[in-house]
Amino acid sequence: MVELVPSLLRQELAALADKDQRIDGRGRWESRDIKLETNCLYNAEGSAKVTWGDTIIYAGVKFEIRTPWPDRPAEGSLMCGAELRPVAGRKYEPGPPSPQSIELGRVVDRGIRESGCIDMDSLCIIPGEKVLGVMIDIHVLSDKGNIFDACALGAIAALRTAIVPAERFDIGEDYPLAVSMTPTMCSFTRVGGRYVLDANEEEELGGDERIHITLGDEGHLHSLQKGLKGTFTPAEFDEILGVAQQRCAELANLVNSKEE
Amino acid sequence: MGGYGDVKLLRDDGLRLDGRKVDEMREVQVEAGILPAADGSAWVKHGLNVAVCAVYGPMEAHPRKIQRQDRAVIDVRYNMAPFSTSDRIRPGFNRRSREISKVTAEALESVVLVERYPRSKIRVEIEILAAEAGTRCVGITAAAVALADAGIPMRDMIVGVASGKIEDTVVLDLDKAEDNYGQADLPMGILPTTGEIAFLQMDGDLSVEEYNTCMEYNMKAAKEIHVLMIDALKRRYAEKNGGES
Repeated sequence: MVELVPSLLRQELAALADKDQRIDGRGRWESRDIKLETNCLYNAEGSAKVTWGDTIIYAGVKFEIRTPWPDRPAEGSLMCGAELRPVAGRKYEPGPPSPQSIELGRVVDRGIRESGCIDMDSLCIIPGEKVLGVMIDIHVLSDKGNIFDACALGAIAALRTAIVPAERFDIGEDYPLAVSMTPTMCSFTRVGGRYVLDANEEEELGGDERIHITLGDEGHLHSLQKGLKGTFTPAEFDEILGVAQQRCAELANLVNSKEE
Repeated sequence: MGGYGDVKLLRDDGLRLDGRKVDEMREVQVEAGILPAADGSAWVKHGLNVAVCAVYGPMEAHPRKIQRQDRAVIDVRYNMAPFSTSDRIRPGFNRRSREISKVTAEALESVVLVERYPRSKIRVEIEILAAEAGTRCVGITAAAVALADAGIPMRDMIVGVASGKIEDTVVLDLDKAEDNYGQADLPMGILPTTGEIAFLQMDGDLSVEEYNTCMEYNMKAAKEIHVLMIDALKRRYAEKNGGES
């Protein structure tokens, strides 16, 4: 479906930006309300539902027994995929995975993988023969803006509550998956000429490029991505990185508060 | 239907493994209007099954070759989330989901007043988030509530229900073990006001008497679920009107 970006919307967003205002009345670095529920899906070994403003996503973790990659015989594997199915909004069409959904899945995947929060060696059962594969599947049900941050939050929350079904695989007793860190993502979108945190659907429609920052414990950077047409200056990046440092710590606290 | 005779599905006291009576349904919960991006939506929990449905439209039907001059087309996608079953499902369509989507669309076309919207399309997106036998029926129930929530005129609701046979006994609403090891399964989409049937599938082995008992159970269950569907819609409208129903 063709998205009709009304020039009126862009004009309005620019006029609001001049007054340092946003279309829904939020401050520039203010997020919408977030509700996080964990262990909410029967059959998933770990799961989370994220309600981020009007955006709704589910994340589910499944495990499988597989043979290791020949070059890494003693390591398990991690895969994170996102599906932007037509359920998520009027603009989504059925068909093979779109470039947007592949980007979404890969950016979330990198943030988790590169943080090192999963010890791949610990997923090895018999070196060279049997390892555990961890699969995180993200299902976007309602896209009302900033699905990246919602998906990243759901993915790490589902992972942190995952139980390895060892009994089903005949490899001992079930045990919780060891996750040593809580990487979280913060996304910024250029709206009316300046960056804002957590753009909603209208701001994405009438905005420009976006930047996704995934930070782990101690504020280390683990994944960055710039998407869509546009450029930014190093000074602009410094500013949003400062905001992300604070915001990611808050998001990590939210995830950690869900664990007993 | 596996029909393995050696799996015990009925207890000595005549109740089923989960303690239900033969004509007892699993617990059903219905919510309408849960997806802000959709024109209409519903969430149905039936036992441990969870289905979510979004409806978009009526909208322009394209590509143009799918348009019908005298009515709307209903485009249904039934999809199981990768994490909805005990073994992960590879994302994407398979023969099973395509068939279910097709017969579900035809069932919905029988209740929606499609002739009101010539040349347009109504999209019905059914997502199964957790599966424990009977997902196609839960999907139909969710679709009916989502269509009503979208304000699309229908001649009646449609309710998905199933009965079947385990250990030579007819039972209402098979769970996972009963579905795997039972002898027959008869899912139906029933119009609760008129008692007409818009969706029908069956596999296994049933005598005519057993079929009649299944039918009786399904009709009874459809009426019970219908009450929950209407309640969910009334709550939704009360919400929209600021608390007054």
